[in-house]
Amino acid sequence: MSLLAIKNAVQIFAFRNSQVQRCIHTTAICHKVQSGRYRVTPKKDFPLTYEMANPPHRIAHRKSWNSWNTSNLQGGPRPSETAIEDLFIRKFVTGTWHSLFVSEIIIKRQHNIIRIAGIIRQTLYPRKMYFLIGYTEELLSFWLQCPVKLELQTVTDKRDVIFKYI
Amino acid sequence: MATVTRLYRQQIFRPSYILSRHLAEDTEFRVLNLKTTRSQPVQRKKLKKPDVLPPRSYQMPVDQDWGSVWPGPRSFHPATVPLPIRQGYVDKGAPPGKYGNAELMKIPNFLHLTPPVIKRQCEALKRFCTPWPRGLETDSKCEDHFPVEVASSNYCYSSPSIRDPMARIVTVKVKLSRIPLDEHAKDKFLRLVGDRYNESTDMLTIVTDRCPLRKQNYDYAMYLLTALFHESWRVEAWEKLKSEADMEYYDWKVSASKKSIETLFGKEHTDITHADTYSQTVDALMNEGESEYSVTKYGEAVRQMLQLPQ
Repeated sequence: MSLLAIKNAVQIFAFRNSQVQRCIHTTAICHKVQSGRYRVTPKKDFPLTYEMANPPHRIAHRKSWNSWNTSNLQGGPRPSETAIEDLFIRKFVTGTWHSLFVSEIIIKRQHNIIRIAGIIRQTLYPRKMYFLIGYTEELLSFWLQCPVKLELQTVTDKRDVIFKYI
Repeated sequence: MATVTRLYRQQIFRPSYILSRHLAEDTEFRVLNLKTTRSQPVQRKKLKKPDVLPPRSYQMPVDQDWGSVWPGPRSFHPATVPLPIRQGYVDKGAPPGKYGNAELMKIPNFLHLTPPVIKRQCEALKRFCTPWPRGLETDSKCEDHFPVEVASSNYCYSSPSIRDPMARIVTVKVKLSRIPLDEHAKDKFLRLVGDRYNESTDMLTIVTDRCPLRKQNYDYAMYLLTALFHESWRVEAWEKLKSEADMEYYDWKVSASKKSIETLFGKEHTDITHADTYSQTVDALMNEGESEYSVTKYGEAVRQMLQLPQ
């Protein structure tokens, strides 16, 4: 029993030590560029939108950015705040319009106005949609202390935005 | 094994006598069906899709006023724009159309700034404009009347704040020839300003950024300009002690050469013929250094002044 405990302790110590010491990774797996890319499925039935179909290195060539602001330019003010706010907006809108957005949420900033654009499905009744638009705009403009506008486009079917199947 | 068990409602819900009696009177016993034999299939409510109007662009007349359809900046909307726009890249085939195209919503559009709308807005703004002041038609005339040029920058960002620390910087530019200075004052002025003076354009540039506000920096720049001007005109007592050895450049007018010439001719140097050519060549020889050209010039000037054969 005591031997086992010692063995465990040694293992834990070795694990912690390895975490401290292994700063340089030389394994090939780390070189693999995976983010924003999708694997081809055996049945070739995985739907991709235009945004998903183009990997990140196609940005500014075949597709454009989802966040438009001047904070990420050289010497732009408050880049970290803008990034955090964009993340918060995305999370809030995704949760409020649950399973309704069929595209990425596009956030465009002009001076102090924040424009949130996107494509939603037509499963909502117009009354509910108007309520959600007002709710989102009101709450986000209260939290972010600047005018927020929601500019949405609707599609009949969620397959309308599918670009290809892989 | 009993397949059907009867349960009394009183035991399930509340042990209240009144409630149980009331319920027992108007309801039947519920049946707990353990077998999965459905007496009748449950009718699922079918989801009714909301009615959607056709795109607005189908009903738009050709001669409509586009400025009132699209009055301000907005993300692209395919149902409002009656143009067959496509955006995107496809290897083989046409680019994706405008419906359900997020790429078109991302890019900034100028649909609110069509030429007729710009014209209309300019017409509306015209009554707030005043004519350009007479006598300031050209840049040179502006420079004549307003020799001091003050520049500062405002910064536009896509952020809730309109403040930028760079906006405090004030640049004041003035041509040195427009400041009334004599020889001594100009010399002292140039020493005080240092590298803020550009000799090729004759422009003095003062940049102030040490105060937090633009107004304070402007005031400080104006103070600097005033102080420089008055300080350069002031002659201190110790400035008269400057001898020839202290001169930073050779000045013939205070040199031994001038004295010897005057004693040789027995008159003032202004009365001697060709003395000005001589003084210029001596200045050039001493300031620019000896070269074949300057030495030859010097020799010629001496011969000319002393009326020797060339």
